[in-house]
Amino acid sequence: MKVKKSKEEKLFQVFNYTFLVVIMIMCFYPVWYVAMASFSNSNLLTQHTGLLFKPAGFSFDAYKKVFQNPMISKGYMNTLFILIIGVVLDLFMTSLGAYFLSRKQVLFKKPILLFILFTMFFSGGMIPFYINLRELHLTNTLWGLIIPFLITTSNLIILRTAFASIPESLIEAAQIDGAGHITILFNIVLPLSKAMLAVMVLYYGVSIWNSWFWASAILRNREMYPLQIILREILLSNDTSSMTAGSSAMDTEAIGMTIKYATIMVATIPILCVYPFLQKYFTKGTMVGAVKE
Amino acid sequence: MKKRTILLLAAALSALMTGCSGSTNETSETTASETVSAASGEKLQYWCELTTTVSANYSNLGDTPFGKGLQEKTGVEIEFLHPPTGQLKEQFSLILADGNLPDLMEYHWISDYPGGPEKAIKDGVIIPLNDVFDQYCPNITKYLKENPEIDRMIKTDDGHYYVFPFIRGDAKLMNTIGLMVRKDWLDELNMEVPTTMDEWHDVLTAFKNEKGCTAPYSFEYTNGQFLGADPFVAAFETNRSFYLGSDKTIHFGAVEPGFKEYLTMMNQWYMEGLIDPDLATLKNDQVSAKITNGQAGASMGQSGSRMGTWTAAARGTTPEFTLVPAPVPTLEKGKTAEMGHIENPFSGRSSVAITTSCKDIERAAKLMDWAYGEEGHLYYNFGTEGTSYTMVDGYPTYTDEILKNPDGLPVSQAMSAYIRGNYNGPFVQDVRYLEQYYTLEEQSQAPIVWDACNGAAHTVPPITPTADESKEFSTIMNEINTYRDEMILKFIFGTESLENFDTYVKNIENMGLERALEIQNAALARYNAR
Amino acid sequence: MNKKANKDTFAYRLKKDWIRNRSLYIMVIPVILFYFLFHYRPMYGAVIAFKDYTPALGVASSPWVGFANFTRFFKSVYFARLIKNTILLSVYNLVFGFPAPIILALLLNEVHNKHFKNLTQTVTYLPHFISLIVVTGMLTDFSMTSGLFNDIVAFFGGERSPLLQNPSLYRTIYVASGIWQQVGWGAIIYLSALAGVDQQLYEAASIDGAGKWKQLIHVTLPGIAPTIITMLIMRMGQLMNMGYEKTILLYNPSTYDTADIISSYIYRVGLLEQDWSYSTAVGLFNSLINFGLLLITNKLSKKYSETSLW
Repeated sequence: MKVKKSKEEKLFQVFNYTFLVVIMIMCFYPVWYVAMASFSNSNLLTQHTGLLFKPAGFSFDAYKKVFQNPMISKGYMNTLFILIIGVVLDLFMTSLGAYFLSRKQVLFKKPILLFILFTMFFSGGMIPFYINLRELHLTNTLWGLIIPFLITTSNLIILRTAFASIPESLIEAAQIDGAGHITILFNIVLPLSKAMLAVMVLYYGVSIWNSWFWASAILRNREMYPLQIILREILLSNDTSSMTAGSSAMDTEAIGMTIKYATIMVATIPILCVYPFLQKYFTKGTMVGAVKE
Repeated sequence: MKKRTILLLAAALSALMTGCSGSTNETSETTASETVSAASGEKLQYWCELTTTVSANYSNLGDTPFGKGLQEKTGVEIEFLHPPTGQLKEQFSLILADGNLPDLMEYHWISDYPGGPEKAIKDGVIIPLNDVFDQYCPNITKYLKENPEIDRMIKTDDGHYYVFPFIRGDAKLMNTIGLMVRKDWLDELNMEVPTTMDEWHDVLTAFKNEKGCTAPYSFEYTNGQFLGADPFVAAFETNRSFYLGSDKTIHFGAVEPGFKEYLTMMNQWYMEGLIDPDLATLKNDQVSAKITNGQAGASMGQSGSRMGTWTAAARGTTPEFTLVPAPVPTLEKGKTAEMGHIENPFSGRSSVAITTSCKDIERAAKLMDWAYGEEGHLYYNFGTEGTSYTMVDGYPTYTDEILKNPDGLPVSQAMSAYIRGNYNGPFVQDVRYLEQYYTLEEQSQAPIVWDACNGAAHTVPPITPTADESKEFSTIMNEINTYRDEMILKFIFGTESLENFDTYVKNIENMGLERALEIQNAALARYNAR
Repeated sequence: MNKKANKDTFAYRLKKDWIRNRSLYIMVIPVILFYFLFHYRPMYGAVIAFKDYTPALGVASSPWVGFANFTRFFKSVYFARLIKNTILLSVYNLVFGFPAPIILALLLNEVHNKHFKNLTQTVTYLPHFISLIVVTGMLTDFSMTSGLFNDIVAFFGGERSPLLQNPSLYRTIYVASGIWQQVGWGAIIYLSALAGVDQQLYEAASIDGAGKWKQLIHVTLPGIAPTIITMLIMRMGQLMNMGYEKTILLYNPSTYDTADIISSYIYRVGLLEQDWSYSTAVGLFNSLINFGLLLITNKLSKKYSETSLW
């Protein structure tokens, strides 16, 4: 059935599209600015005022410096380690919990749910958390950035909702065939929730990629630093000197600024690239995952 | 391990939890033994900050030729641990919070350990070193005997030694931060290096009007060390924090009339556009960019890492670029400045304490003591003979490996690979490093120009509050400092009128300033009585 | 119901449950263990709020000080300001930050060009992937007198000024950048909720002659109300839980006036001044307020909309 569009509606559509385009520009321009600045000639960039639509001058110098810095590649390796191991374990643990909470007719489900939910709103605080990590010998090791953060409660709840929406008949049929819960989880529930799992990969992946505070708190060995710590040193502890000073002093340009932007690009592009691959699942996944209760 | 949880949980759950905690211990123990065997072994753990000139090329002090040589020469294996740049205090705090410490910790135990060294000993963090010095440390004992003034500085009131100190071995090494100004511009404008506040005003105004500076005077405001050394504050014969007055008692500068005059002037300069408008958020990067591209014409900093680096960088595009040191300004022309930033030979910085977790105190002590002997002294300041220096007529002379590094490293980085003499650490700094470090004439002038003041007489000696008073003192001062830092910026930006200066003073007094001064002066009296 | 029978039923149910769900309970053990180890153990550690914690003595044997740390906080000169700043910042965050993704989702829902919709979604997700460190680093640079924001201000004829030194702009920058970063991402959940609204309802409404606006009020919003309310409750419980990370990366002494919040204060006293017990006490106080807010919201929601978290 087709309803004729009224005048107001057309007006609204015009407004709507314009508004969304403006939003897009606002979301996109800062990223574009950083990208363009990173390719700029640093001297021209510092003198440049006004919006930047293309690089001021053109130079790869900043990227050269960034890739020459041994810490960046080490940071990449560490971040990848935490990311890959972390995401796999996170998914495993979250699935276990979500599966349990999605089952019906389980006597202790509610107390356990409360036990879990409570932690979302009440915590011991930073210092006790740290002391606890130390007592469990999870400081100064990359595992200390993985194990204590295995489950994010909000993700657990979302995944539970997705699992709960799988038709009960499928599970009952499997149970009649004599399948245990483990089998059901891995052979039926997880394959049916691929889309939602992709969403979880993204949720956990992004948060692992971007986390920095606990890494700076528990690591004592620079060899273990993930990328974000190095990024923080460069962006906030005004420490590009380590890279600019590396070239012979006389012909050094003040490329501190462009190095900053190049580092941002190097640290952000990879995680941006993951998204398109998962997007297909993503749109589907969140459909299922909508909080329905 | 039974613990009372503060939780109201279902009884069924708590049964489950007790059941689990058994296996909990098992898991944690296996992780423990793994990390320990993988990480430490027989090595001594040594926690210290990694300076940026090292981290530029190495991720661990143990990877540098210096670190390797140190272990070889002393026969002690060390595992170096470092916090991220700019996270020194945070990580220190967390390490301490769990009481499981590295064997050796390099830190500013006087100012950055709340309560100071005596409290650190009482808290069971570090051990007093008197017996250790007697038994295992012939070198430092000898050094302290020869230098009783230093000996007095590195003790607590109770007579405890607590660190292997960083000592500046010469007066030239004690003032490191000062003003600098573009000499080529001054010449062009027919102006002299400013010495009074009025002259500074004229120079900065000329920079603004004639040279088009958007930030005529710019400096790294977010760097606490720079704030404490500010020569413009000294011009008004006061200080941002504590200083020793002419009456030989300790004063808190930020509440004095002189400080109000300073703020009035800064506010005026700020309004006239003579000071960098982005002051509060300035970091080294931005200052460097502004100085080298001519947006700023004057700054503050060290002669090496600032003056030298900037000059070298800027000459690529501006060959005539020259920065010269300017003395601590005065209010009247021709007078010598009364105040100024001159550090104590022992400031407290970068000094190594042995912690209570250290099991092999003898080995740790011998490692540290080595630096204060002949061989160690040369090693810390000049590195390895034949590689980083050669003896020329009894004068340790750096080789080209350092001064003209074949890999193109700047001197500061090449030095940092082989020595600690160019920054700091647990040893006696040798002035002969400085004599060779400066490559520019202006740089070697800097210590002389900046030293032309009576600042040393106003530096508070390394006093230590008693363990009991320390908590009270740090609580009071934390509140005051937060408030002061905030208000200073407001006064400068004019968001708070200077008419309210009296209210500001009153507020600080209400936070307990008097009590803090009482504690400080009592500590000073005890220090003088040592 | 008589007591005995009740007990019998419970025992019976327990037995039945065990037979039925044994393997299920075994599966959930690692999860419970995780929560116990990394959430509840630190909560036990929070007793140091009532102690004068000295690491050498350990948590258990440090001396008790009762509520001394709490009273110290209540008496602190910064108490009123911290509470005010925390509440204001979170309220702004809620008032502006919470509806933003809903509005975006509603607008996107009206877009019928699939490619345009996809493009908008992808572009608005973009900022979510940028780490906080980078976002704050960019904000700091952009806010300088020579930075991008000032370029824009100057473009429209305004005067350049250091934006991050202005306490009255701090909250705007904080909240706006938060919305910028999360709006696209946050809209996802509402978009999927919107997709779940029964299309027949719209048809029925338009047959009844309801315009777009009326459809929005009577069909769309009721349709996604449960999602909105659930999200709101979750959000309320986090209301006072303003993280310190963004604040400590973004503030400086000249903006303490509006920027300093409870969590950044905890960070400073706990980590920079090593007052662990005091810092934990302040944190605990904050947690309690949070929890209270959550309970209240949940109760209200239960009463008026029959939606609740549990």
